[in-house]
Amino acid sequence: MRKLYLLLLGVVFAMAPALAQRTLTGKVTDDKGNPVANASVVVKGTSSGTTTKADGTYSLNLPANAQVLVISSVDMIAQEFPIGNQTVINASLKSDEKLMEEVVVVGYGTQQKKAFTGSASKIDVKEFANLVTPSVDKQLAGRATGVQVTNSSGLVNQPARIFIRGINSINQSTAPLFVVDGVPIISGNLAATTNSNALGDINPADIESIEVLKDGSATAIFGSRAAAGVIMITTKKGSKGRAKVSYDMTMGFSNTLKRFDLLNADEFVTITNEKLANRGVAPRAGVNPGGVNTDWQSIALINNALVQTHNLSYQGGTAKTSYFFSANYSKQQGVIISNFNKAFRIRTNLEHEVNSFLKLGNNMTVSRQDDGDQNNGSNALSGSIASALRLLPNVNPYNVNGPGGFNINFPFANSIPVGPNTQGVDDNFTNVAFTLTQNKYASEKMRIINNSFAELSFTNRLKFRTVLSADWFNDYSFQSLDPRHGDGYSSGGIAYNANQNILRTVWQNYFNYNFKIKGGHTFYMTAGHEVQKQTNKLISVTGQTIIDLFFLKENLISGTASTQQIGGSYSRSGFESLFGRINYDFKNRYFLQASVRRDGQSSLAKDKRYGSFPGISVGWRPSEETLWKNSAFLTKTFTDVKLKYSYAKVGNTLGGFPFLSATFGPAPYGNINGIALNFIGNPVLQWETSSKYDFGVEIGMFKGRVNMTFDWFLNDVDNLVLAVPTPPSAGIPGNSISQNIGTLQNRGTEFSIDLSVVRKKDWGWDMNFNYSNVKNKITKLYSINGNPVPYIQNGAYNLIRVGDPINIIHGYQYAGVNTANGFPMYYKADGKLVTHNVVNGLYYFVTGPNDGSLLAANATTMGFADRQNLGQGIPTYFGAWTNNFRYKQFNVEVMLRYSGGNQIMNTTAQEALFSQSIHNNGKAILRRWTKPGDVTNVPRLYWGLSNNVNQNSIANSRFVESGNYLRLQNLVINYTMDRDVISNIFKGYIESVRFFVQGQNLHVWSKYSGADPDNVTAGGIDASVSPQIRTISFGMNVGF
Amino acid sequence: MNMKNKLNFLVISVLSVALLSGCKKALDLQPYTSVAVDVAFSNSDKCLTSLYGVYDAAQSGDYFGAVRGYPFGAANIEQGDCRGEDVINIAAFYQITYQATYNATYANGEGHWNSLYALINKANVCIDGFRGAGSRGAIPAATALQFEAECRFLRAFAHHELMIHWARPYRDGNGTQVGVPYRDFAVNVPSTVDQVRNLPRAVSDTVYRRMLRDLDFAETNMAAVTTGNARTVRATKAAAIALKMRLHMHMGNWAAVKTEGVKLVPGTVNPLAPTSVVSPIGSWALTAAPDGPFANNSSSESIFSVRNDALDNTGVNGALPAMLGAANLGARGLVAISPILWNNTGWRCDDLRRTLLYVGGTNANGGASFFTNKYRDYVGRSDFAPQVRYAEVLLMQAEAEARLATGVSQPAIDLLNTVRNRALPTPATMQYLATNFADRIALIRAILLERRIEFLCEGKRWADISRLSQETDFTTGGIPAKAVNGAQGLAMYGCGLPYTPGQAGIPYGDYRFIWPIPATEIIQNPIVSQNPGY
Repeated sequence: MRKLYLLLLGVVFAMAPALAQRTLTGKVTDDKGNPVANASVVVKGTSSGTTTKADGTYSLNLPANAQVLVISSVDMIAQEFPIGNQTVINASLKSDEKLMEEVVVVGYGTQQKKAFTGSASKIDVKEFANLVTPSVDKQLAGRATGVQVTNSSGLVNQPARIFIRGINSINQSTAPLFVVDGVPIISGNLAATTNSNALGDINPADIESIEVLKDGSATAIFGSRAAAGVIMITTKKGSKGRAKVSYDMTMGFSNTLKRFDLLNADEFVTITNEKLANRGVAPRAGVNPGGVNTDWQSIALINNALVQTHNLSYQGGTAKTSYFFSANYSKQQGVIISNFNKAFRIRTNLEHEVNSFLKLGNNMTVSRQDDGDQNNGSNALSGSIASALRLLPNVNPYNVNGPGGFNINFPFANSIPVGPNTQGVDDNFTNVAFTLTQNKYASEKMRIINNSFAELSFTNRLKFRTVLSADWFNDYSFQSLDPRHGDGYSSGGIAYNANQNILRTVWQNYFNYNFKIKGGHTFYMTAGHEVQKQTNKLISVTGQTIIDLFFLKENLISGTASTQQIGGSYSRSGFESLFGRINYDFKNRYFLQASVRRDGQSSLAKDKRYGSFPGISVGWRPSEETLWKNSAFLTKTFTDVKLKYSYAKVGNTLGGFPFLSATFGPAPYGNINGIALNFIGNPVLQWETSSKYDFGVEIGMFKGRVNMTFDWFLNDVDNLVLAVPTPPSAGIPGNSISQNIGTLQNRGTEFSIDLSVVRKKDWGWDMNFNYSNVKNKITKLYSINGNPVPYIQNGAYNLIRVGDPINIIHGYQYAGVNTANGFPMYYKADGKLVTHNVVNGLYYFVTGPNDGSLLAANATTMGFADRQNLGQGIPTYFGAWTNNFRYKQFNVEVMLRYSGGNQIMNTTAQEALFSQSIHNNGKAILRRWTKPGDVTNVPRLYWGLSNNVNQNSIANSRFVESGNYLRLQNLVINYTMDRDVISNIFKGYIESVRFFVQGQNLHVWSKYSGADPDNVTAGGIDASVSPQIRTISFGMNVGF
Repeated sequence: MNMKNKLNFLVISVLSVALLSGCKKALDLQPYTSVAVDVAFSNSDKCLTSLYGVYDAAQSGDYFGAVRGYPFGAANIEQGDCRGEDVINIAAFYQITYQATYNATYANGEGHWNSLYALINKANVCIDGFRGAGSRGAIPAATALQFEAECRFLRAFAHHELMIHWARPYRDGNGTQVGVPYRDFAVNVPSTVDQVRNLPRAVSDTVYRRMLRDLDFAETNMAAVTTGNARTVRATKAAAIALKMRLHMHMGNWAAVKTEGVKLVPGTVNPLAPTSVVSPIGSWALTAAPDGPFANNSSSESIFSVRNDALDNTGVNGALPAMLGAANLGARGLVAISPILWNNTGWRCDDLRRTLLYVGGTNANGGASFFTNKYRDYVGRSDFAPQVRYAEVLLMQAEAEARLATGVSQPAIDLLNTVRNRALPTPATMQYLATNFADRIALIRAILLERRIEFLCEGKRWADISRLSQETDFTTGGIPAKAVNGAQGLAMYGCGLPYTPGQAGIPYGDYRFIWPIPATEIIQNPIVSQNPGY
């Protein structure tokens, strides 16, 4: 392979110094007289050529045999000029309407946008080309209708959660398929010890375009893997003409967008002793004579975390060969001390036309990502945020005489000293200053994605393409836990290494054939075959009780651990598909597309393995009808109108081998080998399928100054593969068996408008506004003994219930605090008011909020039946408003993003901020009930009774809040240097210079009391995750 | 055909052949981490590993994806003690159990319920497997019976644990109260789930009878001894007999307790030579020192324990040494000894157990408490979870003798002394005499107190509270009053020092006396009724 590159490189360079005879100059303009930059100026039949500068001028050394000059540019009609003896040739190029037609990247090819009858959103990558981001998924929010993106924490290496047109499965994959240059790649959160984003291996700066395929007809060609939509990424290619080099640099600083508002030391002492006193216990929190007032958040979280990105790219091409090389380095420090992502990425994309019959190409990216992380457990005793919220503010993190300078109880206990208190932090939360700096969570990943293709052109109409790709992912993870304090204490120190190796190979072979029949009938056909194989391997080693701290620095070292354990795993999966698609276009007016894919997957039994997934769509452009064209008003106002409708059936991939009847897996009894029942499957399991419908309208007005799209969609998932819960008393491993049972629906509308408000020479204003809504509804679940089951409990807070959207928050309806006794009150299912005596645990009917009589005769209970629907966890609507202002060399982009309709169950407040243990709390606890007559929402404090006071592990409307927000996502100011100034200063060595300042995630307007309304799980649970990040950065682009 | 067409024809032909030959191999895959059921019972070696897989289910069942020692690797001991008054929950770990604030989604209860039934089903699947292997001749018939017997022992053991926590005691209504669903068939294909959904909770008497039937079979077919690394950690005849004694105790059938006890306890004993009392079956005998069973996991009196070792244990969030040990020794100091028992005047101040098995140390909150050091491998967490000790057999037999007698039973005193004497500095002068007891009630109370002392931190307290709840003379009246959660400081400990517990008791009649059936069970299996009040 390397030889091929060298050879191709050689060819590229060999072409440059052709025999020079004389110089030809000129200027290239468009039909309005504006200079055309980067136009290609080539001597026909030779490799001599150049590109025009920013002012449209060029200068070319002509070889002796030069006869005809070809001048071309993107979106323009190429022109040829006889050279003769001329020394100046100016050209005025006309824009090519045909070429200007946008294309849509679809599965196994591209289509003209006007003929495209599916639903897809193109994402303008230029808008976020320079934003600080470790991976592209994190920047997709608000960029396209129907695409809901949540960055659910501030961790830099956690992948974004993406739902395209809602959640389309309960148990199977809901993540979209990522296709890079036509080949599905491995994606997800893959490292063994850290969060890690496999998509981070694609350098965002290398991306030419992103297309999100949303409806069935657009995705059907991808069959089974496309149930949750497809994100198609195309990387940059070299364009013909002179080589272009560009260097981009961004540097900036990240800070937390919002931290928690916690009690200070004095407030903590008051609250804690009040908790105790209310239970008749003597004070345990004391005031520190030294006045210690530790802000534990500032121990875990840092200010001005440095971020930087450097990109160098080199691209160009000759008549036959085009190339694109890039090298990238980026480092992003997160806001939690130990959190970072560091990436080194190289890409080489090459294409070479051997002759009119054969074209070869190879796209390769080599990437290395290093990630640093920490214990992020929301309830973990060494969880970074969990600890920072609960540690006592009157206790010092450091002690110059302590081990390593930390205030810890080593070797006497795995706890942090009590400070001036007689009791330390409850639950043994550990000193986060120690754990974040002494423990190590690291992962180094190597990735090579190589994608080789050959295209055979049998005729102009019939082409065959074979693509062979290999995606090789290797994760080498290391974790060390210090024996002195924290998670490693009880094990005498832990060193852990894991090596994870994933190889995916995909081989695609397909034909593209198009032909025309007289009378305006055009046909495009695609047919092919694809096979995919994947192997996952894992080996891990754990050493416990490490000889010395020294051996915890890097890697597990042989012979340093007295207890040694090994782990390993191996799995394989495969897909095989045949597919075909036909597009029919009548006079650019009527369109029809039909496709079918037959998919086989290894996760189903032999006789159920294949599924056929058809799709059909139709389109009509009334604006092409004669009647329309004859109307001056219509043609002037509505330049282009298209109506489209599609239907398709798609499948969803399953994992593992859910069809096997029963298996026995390893189950050692101590160190004695054992095997035991580990799985019960369903041999008759079939494909999970969904029917997707889409109706859309596209309207272009006033010659493209206004573009609107409107889509209505319905996705009926009718054969849900549900891990149907079995009674725990059946003793089935995992308490479930997969069955094709259940249906759900996603329906919604999408609207997008692009407006070119001002189009002046010196200034301009473009904007885009988009809005999407998705209504999810579970329509059917399984039955027990013929009785339909109304719901499935999904964790402690969520319910999946027929008639409701997936994952409603289900819990008690809070009724405030009983003013007479300070106990919390609730409404039972029948609306009756009860007061919860948190001391004896019983509930009593009361006549009103001032009724403090808790009579035994009025005792009652609160049970599962009293829980109510407290709202849905996923947003029902979302979108963005983007404005782009241009004034001379300045350009300002403002992006506002909004989302809402969801509720958030704030367990961070329930379990930490309002904890009744000896923990620090949020400032909001100061509003607690203290004496009869107090009207407040915060009940009386009772030490040790969190479970009763806050109803831990049950959703409680007291902690359920609206998730609506408006976010100032980006504010970017660009300054492009004047070309004349540049050429004066740099004498042609530098062609373009641009500077920019950008603010990302600058502000969020929300009533949500937690750290951020995006800090939620798919079920709408906020559980002590890292605060979101605000990044301010600056940088420049230089073109050579 | 011109040149290009020839080329096209050639290339298309080659491609077509290549594609049509296909890649079917991509789909014919199998798991590499599991074996098929028929492999698991194909020969003696595989059958033995499958049997150990059932024991593994007893040691480390699934607790929401983690291993916490459910049901018998640690959890039954921790829950059994924390439901009682003889320990103090220091932090939040067992607080819900300790303060009885559980509900139907209570994780500890759900973990225990789920892992007990998972154990039962693994036992049932293996019973079918061993029977099949025996009848096919894949393993000798006697081996098949022995393996089945061990599975049935574990099945009964698990059902009894379920009865203790989720059902009213047998003697409340003499077996007529609702028990738990009894599972004696393998659930290994989707259709058998329907069978499960048609079986309501059986009444207590039915469950007890079925457990006894399993144990009779187990006693007949199990080995008398197991050796090597199987010693103690695989059940033997004595374990089955001891478990039968427990069941009869819960049923109040003292004659039957004695009948079973006679198989393991010699007719006459010399309390002054505790180690001389040897079981006719299995040769089980007390160790010389009270900490013998903890210094040596497979001691002479460790009839049945669940195995843990450094390579496979119940983890830092579940292991007995981690949870129950003192933090300064490397444990987590989460469950301390309560002054309720420590200060009890019935526990001699010079009892050797006070110093051999308990130690003052740091707790999870950085304060001071008394902790057990019965479990002492704080780093490797290799302490077995003791389930049946010979000391228990002796005390059960003592109680049966005391209960069956009309007056103060000397055989009962002898058996009580046998256990107690080894913990006394000078047994000859300190041991109990008949004159120490005003009547048989006083003697039974002494035996019951001895059980609390001897088995402190071995998880037996709740079972006793449950079974004694119906007896006016011995009942705690319900969930007993306890120390306040997190109570600490060495000042509150002192032999004979008065102590008033700060957490009120909960009467027997209260719904919280028994645990809620997990909500998932009620939802997935509506035929199983919830315990009233939840």
